[in-house]
Amino acid sequence: MPEAPLLIRRQRVPGWLSALCYAGGLILGLAIAAGLLMALGVPGPSLWDEFIVETFLTSDGLSQTLTAMIPLALVGLGSALAMRVGFWNIGISGQLWMGAVAATWVSLHGIGPGALRLPLMLVLSCLAGAAWVGLPLLLRLKWNVSEVITTLMLGSIAFLWVQHLLFGAWRDTTTGFANSRSFAPEERLPLLGWGHLHAGIWIVLGVTLLGVLVMATSRVGFYARAVGLNPRAARAAGLPVLGTIAGLVLASGALCGLAGAVIVTGTEYRLSQTIGGDYLFSGIVIAFLARSQLLAVLVVAFVLGGFYTTGNVLKMFYGVSEAVVLLTQGIVLLTVLSAQLFSTYRIERRGNA
Amino acid sequence: MTPSDTSGRGRAPALLMRDIDKAFDGHPALTGAGFRLEYGHVHALVGENGAGKSTIMNVATAVYAADAGEVIVDGYGTALRTPAEALSAGLGMVHQHFRLVGRFTVAENVALALGGAGQPCSLSEAARRVREKAAELDFRLDPHARVERLSIAEQQRAEVLRVLLLGARILILDEPTAVLTAAEARALLALVRRLADEGRAVALVTHKLHEVAGYCDRVTIMRQGRTVLAAAEVAGADLNDFARLAVGELPDTPRPAPVTPGAPLLEIENLSVRRGDGSAAVEGLSLSLRAGEILGIAGVGGNGQPELVDCLSGLSPAVAGTVRLAGQEATRAPVRRRRRAGLAVIPADRSDSALIGGLPLAQNLALTGVWRGAFGPFWWLNKARMRRAAETAITERDIRGGGVATPAGLLSGGNAQKLLLARELGPGARVIVAHSPSRGLDLRATRAVHDALRQAVREGAACLLISEDLEEIMTLSNRIAVMNHGRLSAPMPVAEASAQALGALMAGHA
Amino acid sequence: MSGFLLSWAATVPDYAAPLLIAALGLVICEKAGVLNLAPEGVMAVGAMTGALVVMGGQGPWTGLAVGALAGMALSLCFGLAVVVFRADQTLTGLATVAAGLGLSGLFGRDAVQKPFTGLPRFGETGWGADLPRLLGQQNAVIVLALVLMVAVGLWLGRSRAGLRLRAVGEDPAAADVAGVNVQRVQLLAIAASGLLGGLAGAYLSVVSAQVWVEGMIAGRGWIVVALVIFAGWRPGMVLVGALLFGGAEALMPRLQAVGVAFPVYIGAMLPYALTLVVFVVAMLRQRGADVAPAALGRVFLRQDRH
Repeated sequence: MPEAPLLIRRQRVPGWLSALCYAGGLILGLAIAAGLLMALGVPGPSLWDEFIVETFLTSDGLSQTLTAMIPLALVGLGSALAMRVGFWNIGISGQLWMGAVAATWVSLHGIGPGALRLPLMLVLSCLAGAAWVGLPLLLRLKWNVSEVITTLMLGSIAFLWVQHLLFGAWRDTTTGFANSRSFAPEERLPLLGWGHLHAGIWIVLGVTLLGVLVMATSRVGFYARAVGLNPRAARAAGLPVLGTIAGLVLASGALCGLAGAVIVTGTEYRLSQTIGGDYLFSGIVIAFLARSQLLAVLVVAFVLGGFYTTGNVLKMFYGVSEAVVLLTQGIVLLTVLSAQLFSTYRIERRGNA
Repeated sequence: MTPSDTSGRGRAPALLMRDIDKAFDGHPALTGAGFRLEYGHVHALVGENGAGKSTIMNVATAVYAADAGEVIVDGYGTALRTPAEALSAGLGMVHQHFRLVGRFTVAENVALALGGAGQPCSLSEAARRVREKAAELDFRLDPHARVERLSIAEQQRAEVLRVLLLGARILILDEPTAVLTAAEARALLALVRRLADEGRAVALVTHKLHEVAGYCDRVTIMRQGRTVLAAAEVAGADLNDFARLAVGELPDTPRPAPVTPGAPLLEIENLSVRRGDGSAAVEGLSLSLRAGEILGIAGVGGNGQPELVDCLSGLSPAVAGTVRLAGQEATRAPVRRRRRAGLAVIPADRSDSALIGGLPLAQNLALTGVWRGAFGPFWWLNKARMRRAAETAITERDIRGGGVATPAGLLSGGNAQKLLLARELGPGARVIVAHSPSRGLDLRATRAVHDALRQAVREGAACLLISEDLEEIMTLSNRIAVMNHGRLSAPMPVAEASAQALGALMAGHA
Repeated sequence: MSGFLLSWAATVPDYAAPLLIAALGLVICEKAGVLNLAPEGVMAVGAMTGALVVMGGQGPWTGLAVGALAGMALSLCFGLAVVVFRADQTLTGLATVAAGLGLSGLFGRDAVQKPFTGLPRFGETGWGADLPRLLGQQNAVIVLALVLMVAVGLWLGRSRAGLRLRAVGEDPAAADVAGVNVQRVQLLAIAASGLLGGLAGAYLSVVSAQVWVEGMIAGRGWIVVALVIFAGWRPGMVLVGALLFGGAEALMPRLQAVGVAFPVYIGAMLPYALTLVVFVVAMLRQRGADVAPAALGRVFLRQDRH
């Protein structure tokens, strides 16, 4: 074996260094993904054109990117809240499905007067998402059952339940397709008149603002930081550890449920089989890249929204599978995680001894 | 390898370390330190906590890589890169935390390391060699016993035996007697003496001067990362000189004055606590603690002390018995109710159970006050008030090395402990549970901790002091009891407690 | 009834074998102290690569082998990140799954839904045509999986290399002092888990389905992660778990075949629901018993101050 260099754990990581490593990992990951795409036959210049110019710098592209960002930001905020208290919510897509199901249920059964229909759909989707993360939360808090597996399994179960509904009771009888029937106009989020961008963007901004305020000024943020860093010491000091974890994780589930409702009421106008598939990893990726900072979540979700827009274009014009978006997320997460080595540790050659 | 093979004896020193520098991320632990060890000697390495004794020995065995300096074994300056290489060069170390795999048997632990890739050592072969070596050293040790089921003393024997089986001619023991009862310690030191007389070189890291006088040939003293006395003869020297060199000044140990205790603040009856694996940690423990007194609980570590502290703090449940805090029933009370009743806790591992290293100093101080409303209502946290409180505490408690916004994890041990004292020993503290409050601290910080505890008790609090350091117990307590296998002996007034009597109780002979 | 039970029992090994193979790999990896959530992605890459190789005209055994190697390659990316770069094992595992699913989707795009001829069952071979149904339904890889289980069990429990590997997972500092190269052992263990994970994935496409479909792993990688915990990291119990989950998975197609009316998607939930229940029960049973490798998921660094 060659002599391994020494790693010395830094006690204090300078801000510039950690930013540098982050940027380095990000650039390396994107470069690897771009290299793969070029190997698959997408010419470099058009890759640049599609990803930067067409997604961020044209009016059409920007509105598409912003629209794609809306549910991404919501699941990203959800993941970030759970991650702050050390809860791995990997079943985001399940909570999203349940939120979409709840909203659709309200529509199909015509619950409540028309004017209140949309708010009711949104509120119920939050409750459904929170309920779906409730069981893993309970198991984790009561018996310390790892939430990684439980949230994931409930995600798969939620997806199969949606299939069960769409191929059964909720199938659109007029077309025979495995979709629910379309929502009535008053059940849709209003369009803002710029591409497909809809009022969901206001929901995202409002939720983010509320989250930032609560975290900055109330005890919630204080408790969350303490519990996330050292739950044992927090408990010994008398902090409501279980309540803090439960509150933030339920909020996380609620936001993911809301994301499902926003997709069905804002862009799809019906429940279909395809809406939740992309969100399995997005929430975790966004929350990690944003370092669980709520404002940063918006930025990362915006960029990732660009990925999805680009992915659609690549699929249409170059025949590249939309799996490229997932792959890029995976690669970037791997490189950014690995690059942290250089900020967490100081690396030294062996002494001359 | 047998000791008679040690051809280097009388010529080159077994171990020679020169001008060793070692820093941990910019914080120097060793500065130009040195150490010289000869075959046939038991060589004491003495110094306070944090003087660099363990660090220099970890450099010798290549657990740490030195920043500068040289390590020469048997006169050869080959670079040792890993602990395994050090061991094959004849350097074996018995660490404070034994390097044995707890779930393996003694034989499996030996087989793990014995024989290179070419000559695998079967389990039965390993067991046979363990048995042989144990007989040679007069140990009683079952080769097929799982290490985690052995007592601390037995685990230590297994570690010594393994290091010897692996051919160590230079044996380093890092504070080996800290975890032993007096009788076990005597047996170990006698063994160490015998190993040196057979020709091996032994370095004994210790801070107990009577061990130096009784069993060692040479002594090296370290202070603040430097060697202040190198390889001095022990015979004929004055122990007080050594003490002065190690500590810088001699501590005066004020004996606690007899007190007239007030109302009972902590009453425990028949308390039993279990560990996570279901085994009994505390069994039928009863005590009564009154305002104005310090009750010391002595005992070797691992006899249920942390479990008792966790239970009193409200972190783990009692399986039987009752606890009353300041007159209120508190057996099943949550942490908050205990703290409202005046409970203050200084746990043994403050970075694990009390402070949050990643949070700023000010927020650590506010941890117990925020939920009580001391820093504003639920939806509005008054950060300015938090900062002011922290500034006051920093001045009053003389906390150095950081301001209100410094993460608590960057403070040195002594300053972190002062921070914890500032939080816990506020005006509301009535029952103080302190577990090894001065472990790992230098003399000055130890004094600050002791003074703070005395002060709090003078002001009407009661203190339960749990410590493995007998001197600390004798210095502070009004009454003393001993904890052994989860049970508590009857407390005796400090005037009647002698080190011998307590030692017998700790060993479980009384 | 007995006919139904027989036909069900005959198909169970086919469902259980990939779970068994992947879980054995995971046992090796986690016994060395590396928390590995990557199987779902590793199996996807193995399945895609195996199918592509067979569709390219190579034999099924070549497909299985190349699929296994592809799984190992992806697993080594995970290993590089967690062992050399000391990245967080949970997040890195998830990232590896994303990368594996992405890679298989990207490179397997043109191969989707094109059936091919994979490894024959015993009953389809010349010599095995007369075997009773219970045996005729099986194939050579199932036998290999059983041999593998015994071998892994013996190797971990009895050999010196197994002892060293377990020492790394229990107490890396102790293993280090005993002369074990902690990082090398962990990398090798991760490579082994990738090899077996890739083989399990390739089994799904080359032997079971004889077609490649994106998303065909369908959560089996996660089931494997739960299965290993359920089995308490013991190879023998892994077989029990694999049969349990394989049996549940095999039940639905059999019930449909005999015409039991049951909502198909509710039935498809069975493996996931079972995983959930079994996982929770296993976690409750193991509470305080410390069956997991003691250093699982921890980053070891010799220079750390202890």
